[in-house]
Amino acid sequence: MSQLQARFFTENKRYVVDDVPFSIPAASEVEELSSVINQLLLAKDASHSKVDFDFLVRGQFLRTPLSFHMETEGISTEDVVEIEYMERVTAPEPEECMMHDDWISSVDADAEWILTGSYDKTARIWSVEGKPVMTVAGHTDVVKDVAWVKREGLTSLLLTASLDQTILMWEWNSERNKVKARHCCRGHTGSVDTIATDPTGSKFCSGSWDKMLKIWSAVPSDEADEVEGPPDRPRKKQKTQQLGLTRTPIMTLSGHNEAVSSVLWCDTEEICSASWDHTIRVWDVETGGMKTTLTGNKVFNSISYSPLCRRLASGSTDRHIRLWDPRTKDGSLVLLSLSSHTGWVTAVKWAPAHEHQLVSASLDNLVKLWDTRSCKAPLYDVAAHEDKVFCVDWTESALLLSGGADNKLYTYRYSACQTDAGA
Amino acid sequence: PEEDEDLSDSEDSVYSGLEDSGSDSEEDEEDGFFNVPGDVFHAVLNHYSGFCWVFLPTRLPRFFSKDMLMCPFLVLQDIRNTVGNIPMEWYRDFPHIGYDLDGKKIYKPIRNKDELDDFLDKMENPDYWRTVHDNQTGSVIVLSDEQVELVNRLQRGQFGDINFNEYQPSVEYFSSDVMIHPVTNRPEDKRSFIPSLVEKEKVSKLVHAIKMGWIKPRRVEDNSRGTFYDLWASEDSSILSKHRMHLPAPKIPLPGHNESYNPPPEYLFTDEERALWEQQDPSDRKLPYVPMKFSSLRQVPAFPRFIHERFERCLDLYLCPRQRKMRVNVNPEDLIPKLPKPKDLQPFPTVQSLVYRGHSSLIRSISVSPSGQWLASGSDDGTVRIWEVCSSRCMKTIQVGGAVKTVTWNPNPAVCLLAVALNSVVLILSPALADRQVVSSSERLLLGDQEAEAAEDTGAVWSEAEGEELNQGIRLKVHHPKAVHQVVWHAKGDYLASVMPDNSSHLQVLIHQLSRRRSQNPFRRNKGLVQCVSFHPVRPYFFVATQRSVRIYNLVKQEMTKKLQANSKWISSMAFYPVCGSVSLTVLIVLITCHLICRHHKKAVRGVAYHRVYPLFASASDDGSVIVCHGTVYNDLLQNPLIVPVKVLRGHVMTHDLGVLDVTFHPTQPWVFSSGADNTIRLFT
Repeated sequence: MSQLQARFFTENKRYVVDDVPFSIPAASEVEELSSVINQLLLAKDASHSKVDFDFLVRGQFLRTPLSFHMETEGISTEDVVEIEYMERVTAPEPEECMMHDDWISSVDADAEWILTGSYDKTARIWSVEGKPVMTVAGHTDVVKDVAWVKREGLTSLLLTASLDQTILMWEWNSERNKVKARHCCRGHTGSVDTIATDPTGSKFCSGSWDKMLKIWSAVPSDEADEVEGPPDRPRKKQKTQQLGLTRTPIMTLSGHNEAVSSVLWCDTEEICSASWDHTIRVWDVETGGMKTTLTGNKVFNSISYSPLCRRLASGSTDRHIRLWDPRTKDGSLVLLSLSSHTGWVTAVKWAPAHEHQLVSASLDNLVKLWDTRSCKAPLYDVAAHEDKVFCVDWTESALLLSGGADNKLYTYRYSACQTDAGA
Repeated sequence: PEEDEDLSDSEDSVYSGLEDSGSDSEEDEEDGFFNVPGDVFHAVLNHYSGFCWVFLPTRLPRFFSKDMLMCPFLVLQDIRNTVGNIPMEWYRDFPHIGYDLDGKKIYKPIRNKDELDDFLDKMENPDYWRTVHDNQTGSVIVLSDEQVELVNRLQRGQFGDINFNEYQPSVEYFSSDVMIHPVTNRPEDKRSFIPSLVEKEKVSKLVHAIKMGWIKPRRVEDNSRGTFYDLWASEDSSILSKHRMHLPAPKIPLPGHNESYNPPPEYLFTDEERALWEQQDPSDRKLPYVPMKFSSLRQVPAFPRFIHERFERCLDLYLCPRQRKMRVNVNPEDLIPKLPKPKDLQPFPTVQSLVYRGHSSLIRSISVSPSGQWLASGSDDGTVRIWEVCSSRCMKTIQVGGAVKTVTWNPNPAVCLLAVALNSVVLILSPALADRQVVSSSERLLLGDQEAEAAEDTGAVWSEAEGEELNQGIRLKVHHPKAVHQVVWHAKGDYLASVMPDNSSHLQVLIHQLSRRRSQNPFRRNKGLVQCVSFHPVRPYFFVATQRSVRIYNLVKQEMTKKLQANSKWISSMAFYPVCGSVSLTVLIVLITCHLICRHHKKAVRGVAYHRVYPLFASASDDGSVIVCHGTVYNDLLQNPLIVPVKVLRGHVMTHDLGVLDVTFHPTQPWVFSSGADNTIRLFT
């Protein structure tokens, strides 16, 4: 068996080995390399306990025998191979299972609370430990998306978007556990499928089936906006019934030819929206103009942006997750395509603290944890759901959430990014 | 003249050899004279090269040698050069120009004349033209008149001697005249009398070779039998054979022994063979005649079948094929037009993405809302369900109380209404799933202005739904006298047509106007069992499909425009290509659809659907598969539409021998929905 010259290095100070080339068997796999490193570390420090490592060769995870990997990547076997190693990301461990009355359409979690939207026309607030805290009922139809706006002490602002064409802004006091509808945002003429609050928490954007994006103020006030339009009798009647004060959009962005499926804020001035018309558009909030159009060839279900790696991930109906660079001009190419799902990808989400990791949910009942450095296969498949998965989310406190058509919201504990993020 | 004589003498001596050397020596006594001819010859040499020079240098020194010894002053005078016939420029760089007879150098004369002197000389000297420069000696010679004359004669090609007559009469010894005396009186040789031994030897050798057979004597051609010509021999090389496809006429086989008047006995028939021959059918016989033996040619009777045989031969020549038939040797696969690869025709649905479960019986009809957000399905379990397309969530279930035959969404995006056909009722549903304004406008449309009952007796009764049904969204009921199989909307959304197939009545199709709650029967006569009807998506045409034909009616002119015969057994469904303008084109597509489907599906076709945007159509069949085809229609009608089956979608489970019952496309995306007998609706993307 042939041998290869390899030099190991790591960014984690705890596991540094000598910077000398080692001769290793060409056919060695991750386990063998891992044991090599462990022995080296043990020789240096007797108190070392065994750690599983993952190996990167030229920025790609090693998943096959080393020689095969180098052959496929086109790396010369004559030179000394630089192999980076890091502690292996451990599998997400299921933690809680929160039962809902109906399908879960959306989830938004922060460090303390989890907010879910459900097809039973309510939104629910849960604690991260999995205790039901509050049911927010007020919509007349399915809640399609939920979002936290901001939290000031014990009072939180949250948003729910629904198929009944409204977005409700609620104020929730966690101490008294009271929820109060502050505003009813009217203006969309189709079901509101997606909302996103801007990083400062002063505005939010909504995308709807009526092909429009609308930007609203997220600051609660005590005055109702004037509703323009023909005053008909039925509407006035409803208006008296509605919750909260009416609010109208600050700005409407039109340009999509089909329903808007996903919207997000890249930064305070830039909105990114994905649509069924096979495009992702980047908008300027100040001017209300379109900046860039990224054109795909399938319906986009979900997008996610990572400020760490400045990449846009999109999940579409053709089972692939694609990574885009939103700053490139029109006609940009797909940077990377992650394909392992067998159904529509319904949700994608970048890790909040890791520039390479993202999680995706699909109609094939699977949640997959990906690393962009290994695009052929995901890091882990999470097969907890028994039906379609509609939403995923991460929290910075090492919690991964997914909800779907089996009425269950699962939380998983994943090996938080401290080892990697710290490195 | 004296000098001339000498000159000719000297030349004579040249010609006639050394005998004349004596005469030369006689004349040598006069020094100045002898010098001249050499120079003259030298001058002549320039014109007649090779003629005189051959002998001058060789002879003269020889016959001068003794004279030179005799006369010392002559030696002084004669500065004859001995270098021979060489280019004199070889001596150009030397002070001398050669060697004299004593081997002493001959020095070049001192030249003191320049070009100017030369020119002056040329102008002034009257003898300049006869002045010659001798290259060999470097001296200048002035020719005398005689010498000039000699040069002129030689130049003219005349004999040098003036007195020589080259035309003096001659005696001819050998002439045509026969002389009485022989020319010679010499007796003949003896050898002319005796035979030649050499010839004898040669002859005996030839005789021996012939005897031994080494030499064959020339064959004598025997022409006693006359000459024969092969008529056919050169035929193939005739003009006809130049035609590539020419086929030569069949030849009569040459006669054999059995046709002889005196055949060998084995060719004669035995009694058995003869009996067999007589029993056989004339066409089965090996020979058309019986071989016969005659003792002599005189006994042979006249040939009885002569006319018959000649006639047959003429027929043969007349009927035989004269041209080789070119059989086109084509690979049948080449005749199939090149179809584009399905990969290049994307997008089209390829995989099953969503399954809509909830119905408890087979689903006969599905319809997608114009916005593409909702999917309505009607099932035999008595419910109409409305699903969210993107999540396969059942949003509404409406109990209608009967097996639903057809459910169709109103194509007008400004209203949100569903038409449901079940039993003998057409229901108008308002699912209230759209914008509030759309919902209210559709409610307004339903309220309408309730006109007084139409005078026409169509049997259709309109009524409003009440109570529980109203809560479910059912707004209007149109009771028909017979079971309704199909209901279709007009593109504007106000009219709808319902079909009550009945072979025995003219009341098969009803057209309803929703806003005025009015029904009418457009046809007075029964033209066959109506299978389905359809409105043209853009133009005022109405299509009625009976079992085997499609009739097209113009709604404005109220007349039939066209009747089309389909070559399928049973038209079960119609669909329209959305963008084409003309009616003929539209129906063309319909028929092609029928035709194509007949070929690809193993069982009956239940439904066809066209995509509104993409050039796709789908057909559903009882064999449980949905075939998606890519159809390109060209603007010029001459070009056949290109239809490529791109995908067979399977997913439905066969239940009660029924597979897929209805198929429909998503209005904006290249997705196809199919409903089956297995109680599911499937979305393929």
